[in-house]
Amino acid sequence: MDTTRCSRRSWLADAASLACAVACAGALHGAAFAADAPKGPVLLSVTGALTRPNDNGAASFDMAQLAALPQTSFSTTTPWYPQPRKFTGVLVRDLLDAVGSKAGTARAVALNDYRADLPVAELVKNGAMIAYLLDDQPMPVREKGPLVIIFPFSDRPELRNAVQYSRAVWQLRSLELR
Amino acid sequence: MNRNIGADSGSLPQRAWLFVMVGVLSAVVLAVAYVQWRQYKLLDTAAHFQNDALGWSFSQLETEQLRLTNEMQRYLADPQHRGVDKVQLRYDIFVSRISLVDHPRAAGIMQDQMAYQPAMAQVRAFIKQADVVLGQPPVEPLSPANAQQLLAHLDALNVPLHDLSLGASHLLYQRATDRNLAVRQQSELGVALTVFQVVLLIALAMVVLRQLRTLTERRINLEALAASLSAARQGAEAANRAKSAFLANMSHEIRTPFHGMLGMMSLLQDSGLAPKQAVYLDTARESAHHLLTILNDILDISQLESGKLQVSPQTVDLLQLVHQVDSLMRAQALAKGLALRVDVAPDVPRWVRADPTRVRQILFNLLSNALKFTSDGEVALLLTNGAPGHIDFAVLDSGIGMDEPTQARLFQRFMQGDERPSRRTSGTGLGLQISRDLARLMGGDIAVHSAPGQGSRFTVSLPLASVGAPALSAADSSQAADAAVVRPLRVLVAEDHAVNRAYLEAVLEKLGHRGRFVTDGHAAVEAVQSQPLAEMFDIVLMDLHMPDMDGFTAARTIRAMAAPRGRVPIVALTADAFQISRELARDAGMEGFLTKPAHLPQLREALQRYGSGVTAFAAADLTLDASAAPLDEPTVLLDMPTIQDVSQALTPRKYSELLGRFLDSRSVVVAELRQAAAVAAHADLRSAAHSLKGASASLGLCAVSAVAQRLQSSTPHAPTHELMQLLDELDTAFERSVAECVRSGLIDATGDATGDAGGDAGGVRPPAARAPA
Repeated sequence: MDTTRCSRRSWLADAASLACAVACAGALHGAAFAADAPKGPVLLSVTGALTRPNDNGAASFDMAQLAALPQTSFSTTTPWYPQPRKFTGVLVRDLLDAVGSKAGTARAVALNDYRADLPVAELVKNGAMIAYLLDDQPMPVREKGPLVIIFPFSDRPELRNAVQYSRAVWQLRSLELR
Repeated sequence: MNRNIGADSGSLPQRAWLFVMVGVLSAVVLAVAYVQWRQYKLLDTAAHFQNDALGWSFSQLETEQLRLTNEMQRYLADPQHRGVDKVQLRYDIFVSRISLVDHPRAAGIMQDQMAYQPAMAQVRAFIKQADVVLGQPPVEPLSPANAQQLLAHLDALNVPLHDLSLGASHLLYQRATDRNLAVRQQSELGVALTVFQVVLLIALAMVVLRQLRTLTERRINLEALAASLSAARQGAEAANRAKSAFLANMSHEIRTPFHGMLGMMSLLQDSGLAPKQAVYLDTARESAHHLLTILNDILDISQLESGKLQVSPQTVDLLQLVHQVDSLMRAQALAKGLALRVDVAPDVPRWVRADPTRVRQILFNLLSNALKFTSDGEVALLLTNGAPGHIDFAVLDSGIGMDEPTQARLFQRFMQGDERPSRRTSGTGLGLQISRDLARLMGGDIAVHSAPGQGSRFTVSLPLASVGAPALSAADSSQAADAAVVRPLRVLVAEDHAVNRAYLEAVLEKLGHRGRFVTDGHAAVEAVQSQPLAEMFDIVLMDLHMPDMDGFTAARTIRAMAAPRGRVPIVALTADAFQISRELARDAGMEGFLTKPAHLPQLREALQRYGSGVTAFAAADLTLDASAAPLDEPTVLLDMPTIQDVSQALTPRKYSELLGRFLDSRSVVVAELRQAAAVAAHADLRSAAHSLKGASASLGLCAVSAVAQRLQSSTPHAPTHELMQLLDELDTAFERSVAECVRSGLIDATGDATGDAGGDAGGVRPPAARAPA
């Protein structure tokens, strides 16, 4: 399971890198994130216990920066859509690697001030992803965007419970690492 | 057995029960699994679709509606400074919440809430209106005027959304309660099923236990049955062994009185019977002889069965053995008018290791059978070399032959080739079985080839090892004896009867010894006394009953002499085999004891044993040859084994001469006896009878010998007419013996004349024989 997912992830990462390389003419890639401050609107800001900030002690990401990180994509059913939907984004693990954090807990805060304290180890173990594309399209706020924490519920039936659903935060705005 | 059958019939429904129980148990397990699956699905669906979260979604929607209201009021309060984008964000968040409550599943859940559909329609209408200014993209920009309008609409949503929120909460409480109830019921059902399962399991265990117990019971029964069968078999075997032993003993026991009966019949025959009576008696005797053969067969079989019969191989002259068989069977063959051909292939070894008695018995059996089943033509005995180390004795006949089934049955006990009710032949049916058992005992076998009407061929194949001719006189062969003179002995023979003297002389001569003959005890004592010491006798053969001085006195007198004369070995020679005679002889100082007729082998052994100088005097007497017919058994006129032995020892010519001389003297002897009887000279009578008994026994005239024995043992006070009657019998015995001797070619027909008296027997007397009635 892990290996197939890994290979898929690396393939998607390659594809995303390629797309990025075409779009941004090689100006951005994963390794270049740390130094640069976000140029577009900030979608996600990560604060707290991290070692590679880019924005006043926090790590802020615009769409291009998220797309420059290792990409993951999977389809899954959710309680909120009648059909399985395809989600694309960055694994929590990859995001934490990018910001250089070994935090134990992440407080996810949504646009409507919804908050959930998430144990990082479990997020990583359960393959949690911060998705910014739904069916390859950016998500507007009306569609619970722009960011969603999503789990592979279809692949892992053990995740289909209220606790995990409550950790799938929509309209994610920021992560506070502790 | 009945118990087993019962267990069998009982186990069938039991097995059915077992199947039923296993079936029910499986069904219950499946039912429990189904209940649990249902429960799982119930809980899983509830969890997956976040149904429980619907209440939260409604209350979130209500909250967002209030927040949007609040934001719009702030905007209206200060349209210049308060940006449109904040209203826009709140609006978007509000819209994003609507999809969580406005979908078919939610409609399903809320179907009982009358307010749901109108409220949703109202919400959708508000969105449609709001989207004109806040949609993506907006049709026209947000202005305080249309914001005021929207706010009024939004306020109108307050009550329906709140009602829905409450209704959903209540509904969901109800649903949770219902679900809990269902889970409880299913759990109760699961528990009940599990209890049922346990009960069934216990029942199943009991059935299995019962089955096991039945099996154990059956095994124990079987073991008991096996044990009882084994015991029964052992009992049967023991009984069979006991029966065999009994049979062996009884046939032995029966034979003794049987011999007496045969003797009596023989005497009866000689007692002057009417012709009719003689015929009856003949028939009776034939039956008796047949019965005796059967008895012998049974004895052999029982001994073979009990393993008592053993073969004792010795060096045997095969040619001589065949010759003996030939001469004994020839008479039978001639009597039936059949030719008897005996052929020995030149490469068949002459000297072999074999048990002569048993080989002879087999050949007699087969030849008797062949003669029995052949009415004309010939019977042949052929000896050839068979398989390596084997000699084949083939007995062929031109008789009735046998078909295959008969041959297959042939060697079975009590089977006879001729099974017809009116069969022509008689016999025990044991002969062939005995023959085959004997052949097998010797390591060989018997095969038969035959076809109806084409005669039969029985082939006995025996592994007889070829050996060199014996160097010493150990074998019972005259030729061997001729060559086997160890050391010529000086033998003193004290014997009053001329025929015995002649016989012993011939024997001694044959054995290469030198004999000196005296006729009474006095002469014997004198001879020992007067013999020069350098030429002292090596042995004395002492007849016990002699005129003047008997053997006992003579022996005692000799023993009284000084050594070495007094130490000369003395062997008693007598016609009576009484134990008292043996003891008296031993008391008188005699070492050995020979019974007349003293056959060549016994004489040879006695001479070797006592005359060789190594005179370690054994207390044991020389054993009698078992084949020597007892003297009191006048079943036949002639004692063929003795005649065989004697004529072999002496050569047939000499025997014939001796026999002729003895028979010629019969009238004189009988006349002497009559005279003694007439004057009541009992001592003379008994002495003469004793002589006659010994001589006739030596020559194999057993009928004569038997009557002489009775004469000898008659009491001193026996009435004269009784003695005369015995003498008449003696006459008869003599005449019948003469006739028999002539018939079997032992003497010439001319010898039948009353003829000249024998040399020592005294003067010529007129014949006193009276013809039998």
